[in-house]
Amino acid sequence: MSRAFTSLPLLILFVLPLGASVVLMAPLFFDALAFQALLAHPQFWGALRLSLATGIASTLVSLILAIVIIANTRRDLVRDSGPLLAIPHLAFAIGLLFVIPPTGVVARLFEMLVTGGDQPPQWIAAQDPYGISLTLALILKEVPFLVWAMAGLLDRDDLRRVLQAHVCVAKSLGHGSRSTWFKVLLPQLLPSIIWPLVAVFTYGTTVVDMALVTGPTQPPTLATVIWRDLNDGEAVMNARGAAGVVVLSFVILCLLLVVGLLLRLGRSRIHGFYSRYPTPENSPTAILRQIWGLWRLSYLVIGVLLLLQSFSGQWPFPNLLATHFTIAGWQQLFGNFAPLLTTLCHAALASLAAMIACVAWLEWQRPARDHFVLLACGMALCLPSLVIGLGQYRLFLLLGLTGTQLALFLAHVLPVTAYVFIMLHGPYRAFDQRWSATASGLMVNRQRFLREVKWPMLKASLWAAASIGFAVAVAQYVPVQLAASGRHATLAMEAVTLSSGGNRALIAASALALMVLPLAGFAVAARLGRSRWSV
Amino acid sequence: MLNRRNFLLASAAFALAPKFAYAGDWSAIEAEARGQTVYFNAWAGSDTINAYIKWASDAVAKRHGVTLEHVKISDAGEVVKRVRDEVAAGKQDGSVDLVWINGENFRAMKTAKLLYGPFAEALPNFALVDVEGKPTTRQDFTEPTEGLESPWGMAQFTFFGDGLKVPKPPRSMVELMNFAKANPGRVSYPAPPDFHGTTFLKQALVEVIPDRLAFGKPIDAEGFKALSKPWLSFLDALHPGLWREGKQFPQSQSQITQMLGDGELLIGLTFNPNEAANLVAAGTLPATTVAWQHTEGTIGNTHFVAIPVNAKAKAGAQVVANFLLSPEAQAKKADLKTWGDPTVLALSKLPASDQALFSSAAAPGSVSLPGPAIPEPHASWVALIESSWLERYGQG
Repeated sequence: MSRAFTSLPLLILFVLPLGASVVLMAPLFFDALAFQALLAHPQFWGALRLSLATGIASTLVSLILAIVIIANTRRDLVRDSGPLLAIPHLAFAIGLLFVIPPTGVVARLFEMLVTGGDQPPQWIAAQDPYGISLTLALILKEVPFLVWAMAGLLDRDDLRRVLQAHVCVAKSLGHGSRSTWFKVLLPQLLPSIIWPLVAVFTYGTTVVDMALVTGPTQPPTLATVIWRDLNDGEAVMNARGAAGVVVLSFVILCLLLVVGLLLRLGRSRIHGFYSRYPTPENSPTAILRQIWGLWRLSYLVIGVLLLLQSFSGQWPFPNLLATHFTIAGWQQLFGNFAPLLTTLCHAALASLAAMIACVAWLEWQRPARDHFVLLACGMALCLPSLVIGLGQYRLFLLLGLTGTQLALFLAHVLPVTAYVFIMLHGPYRAFDQRWSATASGLMVNRQRFLREVKWPMLKASLWAAASIGFAVAVAQYVPVQLAASGRHATLAMEAVTLSSGGNRALIAASALALMVLPLAGFAVAARLGRSRWSV
Repeated sequence: MLNRRNFLLASAAFALAPKFAYAGDWSAIEAEARGQTVYFNAWAGSDTINAYIKWASDAVAKRHGVTLEHVKISDAGEVVKRVRDEVAAGKQDGSVDLVWINGENFRAMKTAKLLYGPFAEALPNFALVDVEGKPTTRQDFTEPTEGLESPWGMAQFTFFGDGLKVPKPPRSMVELMNFAKANPGRVSYPAPPDFHGTTFLKQALVEVIPDRLAFGKPIDAEGFKALSKPWLSFLDALHPGLWREGKQFPQSQSQITQMLGDGELLIGLTFNPNEAANLVAAGTLPATTVAWQHTEGTIGNTHFVAIPVNAKAKAGAQVVANFLLSPEAQAKKADLKTWGDPTVLALSKLPASDQALFSSAAAPGSVSLPGPAIPEPHASWVALIESSWLERYGQG
């Protein structure tokens, strides 16, 4: 097989479309009228403030909680956080919709235990004007992601050896475990999770689907304002929305640059941590140890509530349970089978294609070229989905692809490839080359070696990457919605559309389906990824 | 008596005349339509409407060999955007074959020449439309349709609530404001640009501005600013009594209906006079539900289907539009148990057997206190209503 040929799948499916999308956004920089219109939008400043507030608050709180969890939990956090990562943000936001609002579970419990009234309270809201419920939903979802990223770092052999040495030294200098953590380990870990943090921040600041479901409304977040403009019937509104995408990305970029600069300037102070006076305090308090457990419990609770809601008929306030149960919601979900099928097929297809593209690259391309792909992956993860989605939409329009299955496939495969490559890159490149040498010494050809030695040994990583890819595909909203031109609906699109309506059983059922699909993928991958022998 | 009957027969024959005039063309269109797939882009915010479209798609498949796919959208504006983008990019086989539309979206597509036609008045069943009694079937928000869209149903703004909790329904915007003051936090309306929200604002506009004639004419920003002062002061007075003190609004009419079912709100609103009856029949609302319109009248209009200029299945789309106008489809649509959407046809133009399909028995939840229909303001008012509302109330 020619070496150049093996790079084609990744270039065609991922790098080229990504580059073209970004390039096609360029003309938008020059539409001065659209920028004027944007600045004159009565909700612009309020919306921008809300976007930044939710993005910053969710990132900071998630980071702090993730650190506390990592420092206080003695479990295999990488494995634990896997299924939590697989659940799409959107499903979670919808779940919270049944917990927080005036007729949600919180209010019902409160009325029963405290006031005993039968009128829904007016002080509580799912779409509060400050974006608190949106921030909360983001935090619940992003903490496991950061925990996973940090735990993954700590699991790396090279890092672990170094860090263990540091811990020994710190202990001998009189640091207790907490002190070791915050003064020795953390300053070394943080720089390595900068990119996950950037991804969390851009996601939180620019998310559309979650904000539509649980974000504030008057004004909404800027991403929501932009999304409405992009879908408006008037051409000037579309241009204003595109200008909004450019402005929001620019503001985020500036903020990141400022933070980066501050970190650089403050580096000496960060290193000062090492020499801080050690504190011998040792035992983490019991409550801190339970945070991770509570986290997992909250996911379970939301799943159970969604399940309950999906079977509920009339549910007058303040009853804790519905007055009658029905399978109508599920019947409607399965009665409209196309979105379910579209999601399933495209998620499977996109993760398969991404796996082929990534494995072909990693197996046959020189590691020196990885940098450039990793950069593209970073771009795909850290650029707002509005930027990529809109650029892709313009690309598809140009090629006459909007509304076709091919467009839908390409819209799915781009983000999936980014995640799959990042997941696979580490394990694949760390594979011990001596196995290959041994195999060729035994006159085993390459195909057979790959089929019978290398891939089986990497099985767990391969399946894990595929299942993450699958989950990422299921969760896509903005790019897919734009590419589909209404011709096709995915589960995520249905869930967003439904959530502005009133059919709660159906909303809950679709959110559950959105949760179950990636979880099932995850379970299958975990089962198939178990090694046949241990090395 | 005999004369009268003869006259009716003669006028029926006259009304049916276009059918024969176009018969040759029409059978060619029907033949071309066979095997086509029609992507019907229609607002999907209501289960009953979605179920009706499903029924229609089964029927056209069986009778005309046309596959009707319901593309579920939340705002017709999306479709205008999509067609505009496609036409600008030179895409000939567009993604939209038929769109459910009216008002400002129709005007936007008509002015930008994004519509195919005229086709509507050549449809065989158009002869049955009550163009005299329901002039809005040819005047969409005062914009002449010119055969670019085919009427589908009639709508009139209607309020509803539980008769036990709202014993004396407010029959005007001022009474509604007083009701909200007496029941703080239990009344709301969807935030525009949701079309129910925009209609609520139009209703307030026509009730507080004395000069009704102005609404029939196009308006610009200055003119609107001068005229709209009493409207804004009315809203200023109304909002403190609303849900969340008028600082936040529900997203959609169906959300309001759900909140009504929960007891969080006391008054629901709809564009379909029979929606409350429909919801009572479905068991979603209690049998004590009542529906009403304002004494001086509420906004009424007609909704249409139109074919984009770059539609792929133009013949199929016309066959579907014609089927939607058939007495059978219109009667099914008007049935309270199905959708309850009033017909655009003139019952007098139908043969007796078809007339019998339209039953008019009142059911729990039907409009018990009706008011006259007020024509929609000209489509140019919509954007100004929405933007000035956003400017004043969109900041929280």
